[in-house]
Amino acid sequence: MEIWNQLLQGFATAGTPVNLMWAFVGCALGTAVGVLPGIGPATAVAMLLPITAKVDATASMIFFAGIYYGAMYGGSTTSILLNTPGETASMVTAMEGNKMAKSGRAGAALATAAIGSFFAGTVATVVVTLFAPLMAEFAVKLGPPEYFCLMLLAFTTVSAVLGQSTLRGLTALFVGLAAGLIGMDQITGQARYAGNVPELLDGVEIVLVAVGLFAVSEALHAVLFEGKVVESENKMSRVSMTRSDWRRSVPAWIRGTLIGAPFGCIPAGGTEIPTFLSYATEKKLAKGETLAEFGGKGAIEGVAGPEAANNATVTAALIPLLTLGIPVSNTTAILLGAFQNYGIQPGPQLFTSSSALVWALIASLYIGNVMLLVLNLPLVGLWVKLLKVPKPQLYAGILIFATVGAYGMRQSAFDLFLLYGIGVLGLVMRRFSFPTAPVVVGMILGPLAEAQLRNAIAIGEGSPLIFLQRPMSLTLLVIVVLVLLVPRVVKQFSRRSIVILG
Amino acid sequence: MTGPDLSRRYQTVVGVGVCLVAIGLGVGAVGIPSDAGYSGVGPNFLPWLVSIALTLCGAFLVYEARTGGFRDMEGGDDEQPYWPGFVWMSAGLLLNAALITTIGFVFSCALCFAMATRGLRNAQGPSSGGLRTWVLDAVVGLLIAAPVFWMFTKFLAISLPGLTQSGWI
Repeated sequence: MEIWNQLLQGFATAGTPVNLMWAFVGCALGTAVGVLPGIGPATAVAMLLPITAKVDATASMIFFAGIYYGAMYGGSTTSILLNTPGETASMVTAMEGNKMAKSGRAGAALATAAIGSFFAGTVATVVVTLFAPLMAEFAVKLGPPEYFCLMLLAFTTVSAVLGQSTLRGLTALFVGLAAGLIGMDQITGQARYAGNVPELLDGVEIVLVAVGLFAVSEALHAVLFEGKVVESENKMSRVSMTRSDWRRSVPAWIRGTLIGAPFGCIPAGGTEIPTFLSYATEKKLAKGETLAEFGGKGAIEGVAGPEAANNATVTAALIPLLTLGIPVSNTTAILLGAFQNYGIQPGPQLFTSSSALVWALIASLYIGNVMLLVLNLPLVGLWVKLLKVPKPQLYAGILIFATVGAYGMRQSAFDLFLLYGIGVLGLVMRRFSFPTAPVVVGMILGPLAEAQLRNAIAIGEGSPLIFLQRPMSLTLLVIVVLVLLVPRVVKQFSRRSIVILG
Repeated sequence: MTGPDLSRRYQTVVGVGVCLVAIGLGVGAVGIPSDAGYSGVGPNFLPWLVSIALTLCGAFLVYEARTGGFRDMEGGDDEQPYWPGFVWMSAGLLLNAALITTIGFVFSCALCFAMATRGLRNAQGPSSGGLRTWVLDAVVGLLIAAPVFWMFTKFLAISLPGLTQSGWI
């Protein structure tokens, strides 16, 4: 009952004309950056972080959240219509969606993606509404040792499990941790790696790193390697679904949501695993004619399931972000940075200390999902036009916005040189297949994890054994080890069985 | 030297670069006091940890590069980089950084836009026109930069440098 009252309060806050406007602009902008290749939600939120200096916390969080899940809607449009994958989350959607579009069913694919996203997003928002407060109540009981282990879990999954190479993931993570070290130590106030540069005492701005790594490096990569890439666009068809499309989509949406939501709740990041799992499930369940459509004409289940899973995951990922303060993706890491700009530290106390803000944010998720359904179903034609923006102007335009983000934060031209340097670093990383998410997560979460580590050891009176003495932290450590070992063992095992069978 | 050999050589350079950064972090860590106070570990603990871990990562990267190249790489190594375009865009970005406080956000960004567009255009194919495209790109750059400037300075009160004190340009 208490939840219900608070949620209604949230709707009252989110429903004011000003906040509705922020939600709408956020959703529209999010859809646009999702559609446009070369710029994603993480970049967009990072570029706009300077607004945290002027706009009040509730409005800007509603705005950023709109961009965050709006981009998921937009991303599917691009991956269905364009023959190059946009953001990673919609790569799975691209597999079947593209095939459907090629066989003249682009409209049905777009419709099932949008409605599935709406369904999954709304269900996941209900999950957030019901479980986030419970999680917060539980999380209050966690001490520094448990927090440190949770963060360790986040580091492990984001660097060692996701991505192609554990080694490159870990390298990226430690580079991020190193960047997070620059500036004043949180506990003793000791300056580290700041040289004598006053700007560095405050630490490296997350805007610079995110915009440099994502936007500038993307533009540099485009000019160096993508000049000759020819993109082809699939033909649009009427956005509607037949009765049989509905019959096939609904179960896939439900299954996708069931797969996606739990994945978002645990601090184990990434939408790759749930979307792929959903795809595999749909393919496994398909029989006869439907199975033949997979990889052929394109099966609608292969779009509906992964899209639902994707949206369920990103929405539910707000639970660990809000209740534990642990981000597991680029965008949630930057959202955490936005909270920090307001001096708000997401965590279990957030639901008591900033209750109005949190509930307005949750209410805006419901509102935003409805807005996005309207933006993406009847108005999809508008967004498709964005795909016609020529590449040179698109990337050059992104650089203008990158300048706003980087300069607007601290009004220092020095930052623009630094931005270029980070862009070149990002280019090198991309060229040699280093993932970028561990850098951003490491940089934001690193200082927090360090503080928890030192507090934990202080609790243990100087002994690191504290981590093994508390049941919860021990359990988490075991999970970390399992997360590291299980995929390897499975790989080894399957390799061996292939040898035996072969 | 063939393609794969060359890319493996670059990979070695990357690995060595990671090692150098790690050593730099280690050197910096020497100067950080270890005073731990009540907690068992002081402010120099994480710097050392990161330094050592990065050294290991760098060493492994070099090892992978020397023994057949980085593992599990995505394909696409065969694309030839287009350096002139890179130079155009870099020049645009660096000039923007150098000039933004003197000629103001709008003109500086328009210049950056025009130069970056030039690089990207050339990357797509043989140069497409001279002065006309330059003027066109500059105008488009102004048309994007000016509203962005107004939107951020007027509505969101983020201070960006102008050429004049009027706040409009």
